[in-house]
Amino acid sequence: MQISAFVDGELPDAEADLLLRRMSQDAELRKKAAEYLDIGRAMRGEASVRGVERLQARVAASIDDKPLADEEVAAEAPAGRSMRPLVGVAVAASVALVAIFGLQIMPGVNSTNEVASDAAVAEIVEDPGYTVPQPVDEQLKQFYLSHGASSSELGANGMNTRLVTLRLSQEVLPEEELDDTAAEEAADETPTQP
Amino acid sequence: MHFPRINTLIWPALIAGQLGCSAAALAERVDPNELLRRMGPAVQMTSYEGTVIRIQNGKAEALKVVHTVTDGVIREKVVAQEGDGLEIIRNGNEVHCILPDSKSVLVEEWDDQSTLFSTLPSSEVRFGSEYDVSFVREERVAGRPAVLVAIRPHDGFRYGHRIWLDTETAFPLQTQLISEDGTAIEQVKFADISLNKEIHASALAPSIDTASFRWLNQPSGHAKHDVEADWESNDLPPGFRVVSTHGETLPGSEEVVTHILYSDGLANVSVFVASQDKASAAGPSRVGGSNSYSASVDGHRITAVGEVPAMTVEQIATTMSLR
Repeated sequence: MQISAFVDGELPDAEADLLLRRMSQDAELRKKAAEYLDIGRAMRGEASVRGVERLQARVAASIDDKPLADEEVAAEAPAGRSMRPLVGVAVAASVALVAIFGLQIMPGVNSTNEVASDAAVAEIVEDPGYTVPQPVDEQLKQFYLSHGASSSELGANGMNTRLVTLRLSQEVLPEEELDDTAAEEAADETPTQP
Repeated sequence: MHFPRINTLIWPALIAGQLGCSAAALAERVDPNELLRRMGPAVQMTSYEGTVIRIQNGKAEALKVVHTVTDGVIREKVVAQEGDGLEIIRNGNEVHCILPDSKSVLVEEWDDQSTLFSTLPSSEVRFGSEYDVSFVREERVAGRPAVLVAIRPHDGFRYGHRIWLDTETAFPLQTQLISEDGTAIEQVKFADISLNKEIHASALAPSIDTASFRWLNQPSGHAKHDVEADWESNDLPPGFRVVSTHGETLPGSEEVVTHILYSDGLANVSVFVASQDKASAAGPSRVGGSNSYSASVDGHRITAVGEVPAMTVEQIATTMSLR
């Protein structure tokens, strides 16, 4: 099956490009691809889709490349031939990937209303992965914060723990403020010398 | 002046050919455990500047990071590039967390050895018999050659890790927390990085004027004192053991909560024993890659929290009992 080969990253580039072009124009094909894949996992970035990863890299590289002016293409014809179709692939791949997987795994690609209303994307909202409840009471938040501090002391989960717990902290900011003098002293101690 | 471009589609074939020839030889000479041992000091002692992409629950977040070490003093700065614009500025043990949305600066004290990036527990038994460590392959991350090391758990009670270590310095260029079905729950990777470069002082200064912000002492806690553990799990998942037990007073409450920290050497689970509050919720919850489960046992609220699968915290919380 062509789609499965694509997902596994085993579809030759030329065929992958062709498949993506067809997907960008064929809603039925996109739907089939969406059904084949575990979309919820892909949306959360939990799926390792080798074909997509390869294409993402190629698309990102293509998008980052500035468009070649006509005279540049003319001046370096061999490179120009390789660039032009690649840019075309980038557009097709962007449309298809956004339609199938949503924007979360395609940073740098702008959304469109048409894409957002795509049925395949709409299904993702109902993925049960998003229904796991967040902490609802202050005590539970404090438990997360305390655990984060303890884990960091053991050397684990450095940045992720810090960021997650810091954002939880914002919701439970303490009332105790430093007095003006302490604030000035603290500000003066802000690092400036490496 | 124009340089000839190599057709992009040729690269995968060239790289695949190179890898095919060298992967087996590399696997023989790369000791993944040795690389992991070098990783801890590399995280703490390497100066670097770069852009980190953090992916969690399908959401990507870009962060600018700067880290330098001078005379043993760690200085760090992390700035979120979108969303709340959070800034974390560390000077030795003192950390200022600048929260532009709430016009606040939290002042915290951090442990000397704690860094923004993950290190692994230094215990000799950190992997015990619960994990396998193996070399997977060579890849490039952030433009640098890297070695992918996999830490695979033997059962579903803990997550796995995939770590891409810089071949030259053992610095972790990319890390993934892997669920039991092999998918990435959390991912942190450098999009670009400069290692061991001279960091200018201005790179570590706040990029926001905080003169009019509220300055707050972040209560690092959670006042603690050691206590005897009178609670234990009668069906603790294999490999976990008690690391510490202490009484803890959480902010906003007078109550002393018992905090038992379990670890399998890599994954940590905290169990909190508090008095039962009618308003407190029972059941599961999740923040990022961390799960928690609260249960009522003998008039107490038992809550297990950890970077482990949901079934692990549920099993621990529901099997706690008084000795």
